[in-house]
Amino acid sequence: MLNRLFSEIRFRLRALLHRDKLEQELDTELAFHLQKEAEKHMATGASPDEARRRASASFGAVQGTKDDARDARGISLLDSLVQDLRYALRGLRKRPAFTLGVVLTLGLGIGANAAMFGIVDRLFFRPPLGLKDPETAHRVFQHRLVEDRRPRIDRNFNFRRYLDLQRNTRSFESFAAFQTRTLALGEGSATHEAKVTVASASYFRFFEVRPALGRFYGPAEDSVPAGAPVVVLGYDYWKSRYGGRSDVIGRQLRIDRTTFTIVGVAPKGFVGAGDQGVPAAFIPITAYAHAVRGPRYPTVYTWTWMEMLARRKPGITQAAAEQDLTNALLGSWRETIAEQPNWGKLEDLGIRGELGPMHLARGPLAGQDSKVATSVLGVAAIVLLIACANVANLFLSRAFARRREFAMRLALGVTRGRLARQLLTESLVLALIGGAAGLVIAQWGAAALRAAFLDDAASAVIVDPRTLLFTALAVLVTALLTGIVPALQTGRGNVNLTLKGGANEGPHRSRARPLLLVFQTTLSVVLLIGAGLFVRSLSHVRNYRLGYDVAPILYASANPRGYQPTEAEQQTIAESMLETAKRIPGVQYATLTVSVPFWSNEGTGIWVPGVDSVNQKWNFLFNTGSPDYFKTMGTRILRGRAFDERDRAGTGLVLVVGERMAQVLWPGQDALGKCVKIGAENEPCAQVIGIAEEMHLRSLTSERDYSYYIPVAQHTAPPDLQVFVRVTGNPERAIEPLRRELQRLMPGPAYVNVVPLSQLIDPSLRSWKFGTTMFVAFGGLALLLAAIGLYSMIAYDVTQRTRELGVRIALGSSVSRVLRLIVSSGLRLVGAGVVLGVLVALWGAKWMEGFMFQQTARDPVIYGVVAGILLLVAVVAAVVPALRATRIDPNSALRVDG
Amino acid sequence: MIGLFLSKRKGNAVTDHLDLPQGTLDLLILKAVSLGPMHGWAISERLHDVTRATLQIPQGSLYPALHRLERRGWIRAEWGSSDNNRKAKFYELTPSGRKQLASEAKAWARLTNAVGLVLDMS
Repeated sequence: MLNRLFSEIRFRLRALLHRDKLEQELDTELAFHLQKEAEKHMATGASPDEARRRASASFGAVQGTKDDARDARGISLLDSLVQDLRYALRGLRKRPAFTLGVVLTLGLGIGANAAMFGIVDRLFFRPPLGLKDPETAHRVFQHRLVEDRRPRIDRNFNFRRYLDLQRNTRSFESFAAFQTRTLALGEGSATHEAKVTVASASYFRFFEVRPALGRFYGPAEDSVPAGAPVVVLGYDYWKSRYGGRSDVIGRQLRIDRTTFTIVGVAPKGFVGAGDQGVPAAFIPITAYAHAVRGPRYPTVYTWTWMEMLARRKPGITQAAAEQDLTNALLGSWRETIAEQPNWGKLEDLGIRGELGPMHLARGPLAGQDSKVATSVLGVAAIVLLIACANVANLFLSRAFARRREFAMRLALGVTRGRLARQLLTESLVLALIGGAAGLVIAQWGAAALRAAFLDDAASAVIVDPRTLLFTALAVLVTALLTGIVPALQTGRGNVNLTLKGGANEGPHRSRARPLLLVFQTTLSVVLLIGAGLFVRSLSHVRNYRLGYDVAPILYASANPRGYQPTEAEQQTIAESMLETAKRIPGVQYATLTVSVPFWSNEGTGIWVPGVDSVNQKWNFLFNTGSPDYFKTMGTRILRGRAFDERDRAGTGLVLVVGERMAQVLWPGQDALGKCVKIGAENEPCAQVIGIAEEMHLRSLTSERDYSYYIPVAQHTAPPDLQVFVRVTGNPERAIEPLRRELQRLMPGPAYVNVVPLSQLIDPSLRSWKFGTTMFVAFGGLALLLAAIGLYSMIAYDVTQRTRELGVRIALGSSVSRVLRLIVSSGLRLVGAGVVLGVLVALWGAKWMEGFMFQQTARDPVIYGVVAGILLLVAVVAAVVPALRATRIDPNSALRVDG
Repeated sequence: MIGLFLSKRKGNAVTDHLDLPQGTLDLLILKAVSLGPMHGWAISERLHDVTRATLQIPQGSLYPALHRLERRGWIRAEWGSSDNNRKAKFYELTPSGRKQLASEAKAWARLTNAVGLVLDMS
């Protein structure tokens, strides 16, 4: 059976591909036969002419035989397909406007889907490039209980924990530690910042990749504590900075504060665990840690900064491995507590290990972004549905206009199946062209999308076979969706009636079109409501009081790059930074700082007389500031006073607390004047002199950040080399002067970086911003499509009803009555769609709630506005053709096609 | 999809002026070529001769049948040269064609036997 099938396929392919040759062979074969036959007759004494005549007669019609032989060759189906294709292409070329409209509509729909698929695929499904055996590779997470026994999941660990886990587990082949940081590369004026992955040597063995050049570093170069100063360049960085030259091996590259020797180049596209961008370089984690923290880093549990990967041994189940991991973590924490008793009891910490998937978006710490990405994929699918509905509608109206042509062809003996196939071919061709346009659109839009969702915008969507496959599927679905209704409707109704009647006297009006319109409206309403909700959420986020101003503030920080100033020197540099910053034109206030919102925060234990285990219950963020701290940040003092010039070293210790901190520490009491011991239980009391509004330093939504502020002058450690400045006017313009002036103060290799504070906070707004952009863009697209659909349908109806309307006007119907008649029929459909859409949106509201920020997903204002917009669009879309209808001259209308 | 390919045939059947029962021509051709490679004309002559001219093979049906059998993989064709060095297409039986021939011949024997029994009824 299979053999026969292959033989069939081979034969038919040959038949299709070598048509001319086969035709020729058939001719030769038949000619040979005729000749032999003629020879036979000649042998019996016939004249050559007579022999040929008799041969032909006995053979029958040569042409017929050829047809039959060709049929037996089995090319007629494929032939007719080719015919259909030609016919479709000819038809599309003849109606460029229609074709362009459909291709654009489908292109946008398919393009949006292809682009979003690329994102979601990367976020959730495709393992990082080159990952070996993804089944047994995991990210390591740690669960523990914090304040009020609230669960907390971490993926950052300290180096000593990493050593503990390696030593005390048996279920794992290997662990890897890594972190991607933005570091300064190069020297002098060529210094630039780039992402650098600091990784253990074992990191590379999680992947099945070969270096493009040279080698990766090995365990000997990643030995505790100092490792070796070797670097593997990222492929893109190698290409762009070194022009892809092979003699880079052995060259020196200064990264952060150490000079590294280049030993290799990572393969193209290699991003490692791949969630923090394309690294410019990979350096041994021990070399980096040693350079930053000195030789003690592997012996302490305090510096929590790196992520971990783990690979299970073959044959060990995930549950068993997790148990092993948990046990090792518990052992490690026991040691931690022995060294730092203020962690409390091990049992209360609820330590548990988890082996999560490599994809962060699928793991326990999935961010809002990934949820938004999924929902946007859903939105893209809806847009495609709307596009399909629109195109199906266009096809239907075309099919309606062509029904005389169809009837004629049916009368001439074309089968209905063939007609339907022709229509499907047409929609397939259009969907294919639309798909190609979609890929272009996706390619174009993908860069923006990827930048929003994935940091590594390196790979292009078009070369990605998974996306191509998805696009091909989308094209097929589209072709079916758009083609099936018109195909089903072909030649329904009576051929005779259609042929006899004028083009305007359709015996049946399609019911599919109004239904499609209602469907389209419903989906548009849902999308627009989603868009409205996101817009409102974003504006809430933007207007949300963070407890400080964002727009007018610049953040300037000095990176000493290995230069280690003495404490006194650091003090001097910090003070001169502050003074210099204040002198820059446009700068209003400036302050030194320790904590930087959404960037880095310090916490120091505090002790409060009368309140037990403060540090176990809450986590307090600590900040120091210059006298102008609150003026610079725009943080309001609610009660008491801010610290100022009076609070110096040697005067009484003071602090300002956030309002929530005051509430949790001294509920129902006046916090002013209370005593707080900072850093250790035996420190002297610092007195609460003021209560400030609470700052959101780590999260927009968390109500659990508590912070307090002390004057930098009273802090025991020298101030960090970073300042906030408040600028009047355009802050962008102050960036460069500020950087230049501060840079003059820097000793040795140190350099200054100045960024607007908004740049540090924006990533936290990203999911809302992106949701808003996408919903508004897609919602607008949907609205446009729905409006076009409505307009074309009503305009079409009006042309169909020209005669009826003419009669009405001839009989004395007023213009406004005709107008009302037409507009109300459009409004009825859209009204139905709006009601359905509102119902769907209400039903889906619960699901949307998670994306909202201080915004109910059932906001009646948004629902009302969206309904109003759609009805308005419906009226406009209906009025234009309706007005045209009222101008019908009854005389000519009655004569149309008469 | 496959079904579409296999079942497609035009309405005017290739055998409509043939007195042979449907499918019989195929059996005859298979049998003829089973004796050795043969071109179309030779097949028609051979059938004509062997049946002592009782069976006039409608030559218009011969070639479609040959091509159909070739498509099914029961016979294969090769270009060769005939008696006086003219190019001709020779058909020969494939292994699967041989199997097909055996089973069709058996079916034919059973059919004629059964028909004979009915006709011998008394």
